[in-house]
Formats: sequence, C-alpha cells, structure tokens
Amino acid sequence: MPDAPALLIVDDEARILSALRRALRREGYEIVTAETVADALRILDERPVDGILSDHKMPGMSGVQFLEEASRRRPDAVRMIITGWTEEIPSARLEEAGVCALVTKPWDDARLKATLRRALGVRPV
Amino acid sequence: MSEGGPAVDLDLIGEVALGNVAVLVVDGDGRVVRCNASAAEIFGREQKTLVGCSATAWFPEAAGGGILARALTEGVRFQDSESWVTRPDGVRTPVAVSCAPIAAPDGRLRGAVASFQDLSGIRQLQQRVLQTEKMAAIGQLAAGVAHEINNPMGFIHANLFQMGEYVADLRRVSEAVDALRKSAELGNAREIVEAAGRLGSVSDEVDVDFLLSDLAKAIRESQEGSERIRHIVQDLRDFSHQDTGEQVRSDLNQCLDSTANIVWPMMKHVIVLEREYEDLPAVLCYPMQLKQVFMNLLVNAFQAIEEKLEVAPGTGRILLQTARRGDRVVVSVTDSGVGIDPANVDRIFAPFFTTKKVGTGTGLGLSTAYNIVHRHGGSLDVESAAGGGVTFRLTLPVDGMPRA
Repeated sequence: MPDAPALLIVDDEARILSALRRALRREGYEIVTAETVADALRILDERPVDGILSDHKMPGMSGVQFLEEASRRRPDAVRMIITGWTEEIPSARLEEAGVCALVTKPWDDARLKATLRRALGVRPV
Repeated sequence: MSEGGPAVDLDLIGEVALGNVAVLVVDGDGRVVRCNASAAEIFGREQKTLVGCSATAWFPEAAGGGILARALTEGVRFQDSESWVTRPDGVRTPVAVSCAPIAAPDGRLRGAVASFQDLSGIRQLQQRVLQTEKMAAIGQLAAGVAHEINNPMGFIHANLFQMGEYVADLRRVSEAVDALRKSAELGNAREIVEAAGRLGSVSDEVDVDFLLSDLAKAIRESQEGSERIRHIVQDLRDFSHQDTGEQVRSDLNQCLDSTANIVWPMMKHVIVLEREYEDLPAVLCYPMQLKQVFMNLLVNAFQAIEEKLEVAPGTGRILLQTARRGDRVVVSVTDSGVGIDPANVDRIFAPFFTTKKVGTGTGLGLSTAYNIVHRHGGSLDVESAAGGGVTFRLTLPVDGMPRA
C-alpha cells in the first residue's frame, strides 16, 4: 500500500505493543513501535509519521511530556494517549500537548480502530 | 502492719478477684503461700491446689536467672516482664509478670509478691491496630498494584479478542476444506477444481501460516501476562495475612524482597532500587509484622523522594541493606528524599505525628513500626544520609525477644 499512514506506537510494555500490532494488523497502517521515549524520539528524528499513540506512565518521561517533545519534531503528526488512568491527566495538559484522542486500557477493539481511523482521517475499509 | 492498726487477715487475699490479674504470695523457697481468686483462672487450676506448688517455673527468665529466684536471693524487683503461662489444658496465655521481694524489718528476704496480668485482651487489640494500619498501607498501594495488573489485563484482553477473530478465520478455512471434501466425494471434476480454488483463496486471504504462528505467540504472551497477575495477587495475599501467635524462623532478605515487590509498582517510574544483602541467619520473629515495618519504611522513603522530585525532577534512589552483627541482624533503608527536619526528629515515632499531606498518612506508620520492633526486642533508629535523605536502621536479635 503506497499511502499507508505511518503510526508510531510507544509503550514501555512490549506485550502491549505486540497486542496493538495484532489488533491493527488489517487496518492498513505502517506500524513503528518504541519501548522507550528515547527510542521514540530517535525514530521521529529519522522519519515523519502521521500519528503517534503513546502510553502515559513511562519511566523518565510521561506520555504527555513526550508528545510535547514529539510535536516540536513532527508538528503534523496526530497525537493520542493510551492509558489505564485517563482521568489522572488534567484536561488542560492534554490541550497543551495537543492530544486529540484518549484510549483507555484495556481497550475495546472496535472503538480503538474507529478512534485511529478518525484521527488519521482514514475511511472505513 | 503498724502496731495497734487493724490487722488484715492474709487469707482474705484468696477471695480477691482482680479482673485479669493473678496475685501470688510465695515463701523464701518459691512455694505459693497465698493466691487470689483470679489466679485459678489464669493458671487453670483450682485455687487450693495452687497453694504449696513451686512457682519458680511460671516466672520468665531474666538476665542471670529466673525472675523469682533473683527476687528471692538478690531482692531485685521486676515490672511487666512479658511471658507466657501454659495451663494444664494446654492453653497458653500471654502475661505481664511483676515481682517484688518481701523483706523482714531486719532486711532479710522472706518471700515475694508477684502479679500475672493476662494480656490476651491487649494482644487482641494490638493485633487489630496492626491489621488496621496494614490495610491502610495496602490502600496506599492499591493504585500502583491496580496499574501493575491493568497492563497485563490490557494485552490479555486484546489478545483474547484477536484470538476469537483468528478462530473465526480458521473456521472459514475449515469450511472450505469441507466443501472440497464433499466435491471430491461427488467426483465432479469441475466442482473439485472450483472448491480447491476457493480453499486456496480463503487460505491466502486468512494467511493461515501467519495466523497459526501468531496464535501460538498470542497464547504464550497472554499466559505470561496471567502469570504476572498471579504473582501480584500472591504477594498481596501474603502481605495481608496475619501472623499466628508464635514467632517463627524467617529469612529477612526474602521478607524484604517480597515486600519490595508489592511497593515496587507505585515507585518504579521514578526510583532506582538497590540491594546490598548479606547472608542472614533465620531470625525468630513475627514475619508479617516485620513485613509491615519494611512496607512502612519503603513507602516513607518513596514519599520523601516524591516530595523532593517536586522541586528537583529526576530519579530517586532507595538502598536496601542487610547485615549480620554477632547475634543481631541489621536491616537498613536509605533514601535520597527530602530528609527529616531536625526539629521533628524526636517526634517521628510518636503516634499521630505526621508531616505528610492530609490523606497520605495516618501518622501511625512509624509508631506502629517502632512498637513492632520493640516487641521483637530490637531497635529502630534514624539518621541523616549523605545527600540529604535518611537511613532507617532496624536491629533485631537473631533469637527473638530475649526473656524479660
């Protein structure tokens, strides 16, 4: 697929990355993953992506802080958070970081797919 | 008894019921001369059979011999020495024993008076306070533990959904195989070719090879996740247990580790945990109570570091050390937190003293820890650590609470 939207997924839990890849297999994204914020930033330095889906509670830097960093490198990338505790992040912080969608862990398969399609502007297949 | 005053008939002691206190009067040979009515209850024998018995065995050991022997020979007084009395029916009662010598006007020791206070009620109350404090500590950990369970739950949940999809895909392949088999039975060449073609395209679409290998991988990953949850629940259950009434030999390195495992989820994002353990002899103790002390020290260390990180972001450090020092073991917890204001050092072990924000501490943690350690015959000290944090040092006798 030449125009497959590129999605960067960041989570310090490798098994979550694996499960998300599995869930999105048929969604037609080019999926790139990173287990640390440092790796994710390195990837963003090297290449553009269309969307970023990040965990929030991670060692060293929170997901929201990371997305702020990410927006400096790739301002066009759509930014999303996936976390078990959506209510822990003040909505003002979400706005500052330009977060356009929150996904709750554990996620509902259909809702996750719909959220990503909407965010990345993809028509339902 | 003063001259001319009203003489009290000593035999009347026998009628005195003093709630949960047994009173014994013993002669110079350590034999019971008189006892009160409550003694029958505490020693589990009829009052009249107690009189004349040798009382020596009921008294705990002190440094240099039995308490009663030392009272009778050296005139030493003992107060609230904790011990156990075993009744003939096997029931063991915790008691506080006090003993004072009776001296004649010429100073010669003639006997002793002793009281045995039944501590069962107090012990039950202490147990309840301990349990309350422990449950409060678990409450503080709940968020971290919930997070630690939620992550594996997240991928197990997603994997199960995906495995359901995989099974639906495999069913389509299986249906195409059935259709091919039916065509083969009917022997119509054109239908066989068509069915084989459908099977081929369904297999390609479903990507059977990938699906089978990924299905196995999804199962493996989910099993690992459920194993992690099982461990977390196990640690939590171990921690919320209560001790039985008896001290047991325990590996304190292991107690420290299993407690750190429970606290770890709440702090792992901001803290580096270091361990320097020496090989320790098994310590005679109440392991659940000591785990509670460890938990308390770890949570305090974490909160002190969090407070510091609010003004100076970065990561903190907690160092756990254990060592053997002769017949004692030393466990210390050092943090890189905000430290303790010198003005507060004398008060940190006092009940209800807290400098934590409302809702984050009961003010009972360190006082409970202090009481637990003292009940073990040990000590709990605090000192400033290099870099602004503190070290809490717990010293315990290897062979448990020394008698008296």
